[in-house]
Amino acid sequence: MPEITTLKEELQQAIIKGKRDAVEPLVRKLLFDGLNPEAIMNDVMIPAMDVVGDQYSRNEIFLPEMMIAARAMNIGLDILRPMLTAQGALGKGKVVIGSVKGDIHDVGKNIVSMVLQGAGYEVIDLGIDVAPEKFIEAIHQHQPKFVLMSALITLTMSMMDETIWTFKKAGVREKVKIGVGGAPLTQKFADQIGADFYGKDARAAVIKCNTLI
Amino acid sequence: MKGMKPRDRILTALKRGVPDRVPWIENDIEEGLQARIMETTEFTPGQLCDKLGMDGFGYHFPMGGQATAGQAMQAAVGFKESYYYPKKITFDFVPPWIAEMGVIPETGRTFVKRGLLTSNDSLKLFEEYLPDPDHPARYEQVSKWIAQFKGDYAVFARIRLGSASMLESMGIVEFAYNVYDNPGLIKEIHRRFSEWSAKVVEHLNRMDFDYYWVNDDHADTKSTWMSREQYQEFFLPYQKIVAQAIKKPWVFHSDGNLLPILDDLLTLGMNGLHPIQPSAMDIKQIKERYGNRVCILGNIDLDYTLTLGTPDEVDKEVRERIAAAGPGGGYIVTSANSLTDYCKTENVWAMAHAIKKYGKYPLDKGENR
Repeated sequence: MPEITTLKEELQQAIIKGKRDAVEPLVRKLLFDGLNPEAIMNDVMIPAMDVVGDQYSRNEIFLPEMMIAARAMNIGLDILRPMLTAQGALGKGKVVIGSVKGDIHDVGKNIVSMVLQGAGYEVIDLGIDVAPEKFIEAIHQHQPKFVLMSALITLTMSMMDETIWTFKKAGVREKVKIGVGGAPLTQKFADQIGADFYGKDARAAVIKCNTLI
Repeated sequence: MKGMKPRDRILTALKRGVPDRVPWIENDIEEGLQARIMETTEFTPGQLCDKLGMDGFGYHFPMGGQATAGQAMQAAVGFKESYYYPKKITFDFVPPWIAEMGVIPETGRTFVKRGLLTSNDSLKLFEEYLPDPDHPARYEQVSKWIAQFKGDYAVFARIRLGSASMLESMGIVEFAYNVYDNPGLIKEIHRRFSEWSAKVVEHLNRMDFDYYWVNDDHADTKSTWMSREQYQEFFLPYQKIVAQAIKKPWVFHSDGNLLPILDDLLTLGMNGLHPIQPSAMDIKQIKERYGNRVCILGNIDLDYTLTLGTPDEVDKEVRERIAAAGPGGGYIVTSANSLTDYCKTENVWAMAHAIKKYGKYPLDKGENR
């Protein structure tokens, strides 16, 4: 029977290479061998996605490799989720994400969403053209740690400002950390509108969330 | 001395020659902005060019009707009829997305809700969605418009290599998965869109277009959505189907950082590369590395300068871009995507004035300095 260390390495490699069929048996073997679900997630799976995220940041791998890695990760998380919930240790928390009202672009938002899931966050994706009220509704319903907003064009950047202002008016601003991203955005703009952080790409968004948990 | 005709100015720059001044043309000017510039929707394409001092046109015009959002993302319902018999002036020859579409009621902008080409079985949708590329009606109508409006201007048709059609009709996530799960599906979808475009191009080659503007996004500001090897396997062979059918000059457009695939992309033989998005690529570097192979178009920033900046900032940016990419010719000023209806009108005018002020060859004379 393989050593636990070998199984852990195999699981990491299965996630890094996006081999989804290999993930389920490896996770089950590790559980059978007595490894704690939280340890599988935190010590094995999330570090694997960190490797993937770093490679993606450096253009050593591209979107397809990152997406299949995130998908493989999610297969493992699906197995662990009921046990983690029972232990009260479900991942890093919830993230509500959406493209702001008026913005119909979702490629960047979808990439961020997948990478966050792969990094152990539970993501509630509200889609595109998300009105401030819809974000607020999701905050009440899901109690997320983070709200992430995306805008691809300058026309809709101002809607981020309005959304945050609406959060303040509704008394929910301080309940969440707000992150913003999208091609025309800058750190300066994020500061101006009072967001908690700006992520220049999917990997940066994960790193910022990790530091703010 | 009398200057060059606008068309000759564009074609000279596309051949990497030195015209009398740096030309200006846009991939698109949204109809709302056209109407603001003209202060009416009753105008011809040539009148818009004349007013702005622009060297040519393509895209679409309100022609006295309501100014509407772009036609490039029309929904499939009723697409074939509206494709064959366009109701307003258009020079576009792009296929519809094979996708479930949505619309923002306030703006009329359409968007892809969900790509529908996600399995081998879904390939049957091609027949339902794609118009007949040999149907004569659109070619006849557009030929009449070219004859009516062309004058001395350069006129371009917008087409696709098929890549954007494949990516949007699958969805970026499905594309990514299928690189590993079902590579044959991606190739088959790309091949079908490319063959459709190649047939369209055979008709366009016989028309009085001066060049083509080929719009296929491949990248975001970080990088391309595929590795160089994936580009060579999944894109290049099918793009060649269209590229080899093209018998006129052509400009390739993709937003984002194209550097990971640029050497391979340029083997397609395009004359121009657009829009050199400032947040993704450095125009000076691109001019130095690739200016001997391709005309550079674009780089006037849409994320800030044209949309949020001041006329003075636009003036400065146009001057800097001409100084960076204009020497030796082979540069055409354009926005770093298109002139959207959320560009400030005064900034578009500042752009027009700056091009005249700084773009005269030789560039080291007078106000150019």
